[in-house]
Amino acid sequence: MKPALFDFAVAQSLSDAQSALLGGQNKLVSGNQSLGPMLNLRLTRPAGLIDISRLPELRNIEEFEDRVRFGAAITHAEIEDGEFPDPTGHWMRDAAANIAYRAVRNRGTIGGSLAHADPAADWVIVMTGLCATAIILGPEDNTPPRSLPMEDFFTGPYSTDLGPDDILAAVDVPIPGQGARWAYWKYTRQVGEFAKASATILIDPAHNRTRIAIGALGRQPALLSNPEAVLDGKQSPIEALSEAIPDQPANALNLHAVALSRALEQIKESKEFSA
Amino acid sequence: MTNMTVDLVVNGTPVSETTEPRTHLADFLREELHLTGTHLGCEQGVCGACTVFVDGRPTRSCITLAATCEGAEVRSVEGFDDDALMAALRDAFKRHHGLQCGYCTPGMLVTGYDIVRRLPNADATRVRKELSGNLCRCTGYAGIVAAIMDVLENNPPLATVQPQTRTVQKSEKSAVESIGATASILSPVAAEKITPASIPTKSSLAEAPTLSRTRRFDLAATDIWNVVSDPEKIASCMPGGQLDSITDDNLLQGKCAVSMGPIKAAFAGTAKMDLNEAEKSGHVIGRGKDGLSRSQLDGMLDFKVISLPEGGAELTLDMVYKLTGPLSQFSRPTLVAEIADRILDQVAASIDALARGQEPDLTTQSNLNGLSLMASVFMGWIKRVLRFR
Repeated sequence: MKPALFDFAVAQSLSDAQSALLGGQNKLVSGNQSLGPMLNLRLTRPAGLIDISRLPELRNIEEFEDRVRFGAAITHAEIEDGEFPDPTGHWMRDAAANIAYRAVRNRGTIGGSLAHADPAADWVIVMTGLCATAIILGPEDNTPPRSLPMEDFFTGPYSTDLGPDDILAAVDVPIPGQGARWAYWKYTRQVGEFAKASATILIDPAHNRTRIAIGALGRQPALLSNPEAVLDGKQSPIEALSEAIPDQPANALNLHAVALSRALEQIKESKEFSA
Repeated sequence: MTNMTVDLVVNGTPVSETTEPRTHLADFLREELHLTGTHLGCEQGVCGACTVFVDGRPTRSCITLAATCEGAEVRSVEGFDDDALMAALRDAFKRHHGLQCGYCTPGMLVTGYDIVRRLPNADATRVRKELSGNLCRCTGYAGIVAAIMDVLENNPPLATVQPQTRTVQKSEKSAVESIGATASILSPVAAEKITPASIPTKSSLAEAPTLSRTRRFDLAATDIWNVVSDPEKIASCMPGGQLDSITDDNLLQGKCAVSMGPIKAAFAGTAKMDLNEAEKSGHVIGRGKDGLSRSQLDGMLDFKVISLPEGGAELTLDMVYKLTGPLSQFSRPTLVAEIADRILDQVAASIDALARGQEPDLTTQSNLNGLSLMASVFMGWIKRVLRFR
């Protein structure tokens, strides 16, 4: 099994990578762990690949007062191992440790996973659940990168707001407030498989952020419009999901309700965040 | 496509080989260097048989391009002759029946090595979790877990293979220079077309998954029927569809190019259709093939335009589909349904616009991301059906 023919180049810089995209004709690649299977199966046939996995600009971490900016080419394993500070205490590390398998985590990157936007991918729901923001570099010179909340970044299965010349340069993860709590539960039939259903809960009173995200829907994650009602027990998970994702078939709805119930159990026992 | 030279170190020996950019590391090791100890099972990153060390980290060599290993240090199962930890693992695998046919063993040993050096306190449950990315069809895993636990619990020798610092990649030439000149040569999507000559039988689709959808229009049923039954009009609603020919057996042959995120495919199909003008309904059965991925879709579609009592019209679609080949290995049912919905929304919007005498908004169409291969083929069939009432 071989991919269809393509050209390959290593980018010297972000602007070099951007020019080499040639309006979306070529494709950026970092870890190749999601694109690789698609290439081998010949489901995707880009004219060329531009390797950005070792660009120093994308391997940085920047700490701000209220958030931490992760360069797009930081690997899951590096986050799992705590090689970069986890702004959420250990929430990101825990999520990273359960992405696929160690061999995949060693090469797969956070930015690659987000830009690939597989509906069942861990970072897609976890970053949405954590109120993270995509940092996107447009083709115009000397223009500051634009920020886009994760819930607006994903537009569908394998689809994002990225334009043909855009690069997802980084992701900003907010530092939770004192006392914040988090839960993430996913259902997989086998360890490391893509999730069939998943849910995250973020309760961050200091920042007035309460968020429940539902993932692995076949499209971008759904946010519950009234997460408080579920957290207060006024609305059952299945009631809330019947409202939020009414188009899902009954079995999928139930699976996601179970994921949400497990996340609710988890959040009761979760430790409060302290910086 | 320019071949490239890759310089790397394999099992301690510097290697410089010319290879195609598309060659993955496993093929590079096996075909160029004749190191056939690295096994290929699934070639899509699932089975773990091809796991080798790249810069001291376990890596799936089937989804790692050789070109991205420039300057890397690769260690495959052949490169551990003098490694005490690997010797201990080999011995334990032998004693605990950690292998039978041996196909998964090269990958198992690399993963086992990584577990022992990275997780010295792992218990059997953790070992099983860490092994989840390596499939074995002989042993039932018990012997493999026992072998790794045996090594872990009995003063394992020091691991000589350790993760190396990730380096910044240096390239003499800018990416735009090396890729810009040749990239426009061909559109790989259009590279090959195989139109299947036959169509499936109804009975062959008996057990296949089904998908039913309805779209409503704020227009009279006749208006909708006039659009969907006018070949030129309905064609303009479809993503990249085109009719090539009608065979002597009155089969329609055509193709459509569709995309979903990075997935791009060129489906060529053959279909047979019957229309019922009086009932404003139709039946299609057909087969589509994606020439490059060798995926095949067999499907059947019943559709009907109904006049609603409260005004407006409804288009109902009942589809049965059977997907084989690489695409079926990849696709998940939730994705199929989601994508079918997206394409239907798009087609419905175009039908609506046309029925009102407006031009369908093709700019949104070409930018639309979630086009399904399967749904598109179905819709392609509808189009072709309706062209030849």
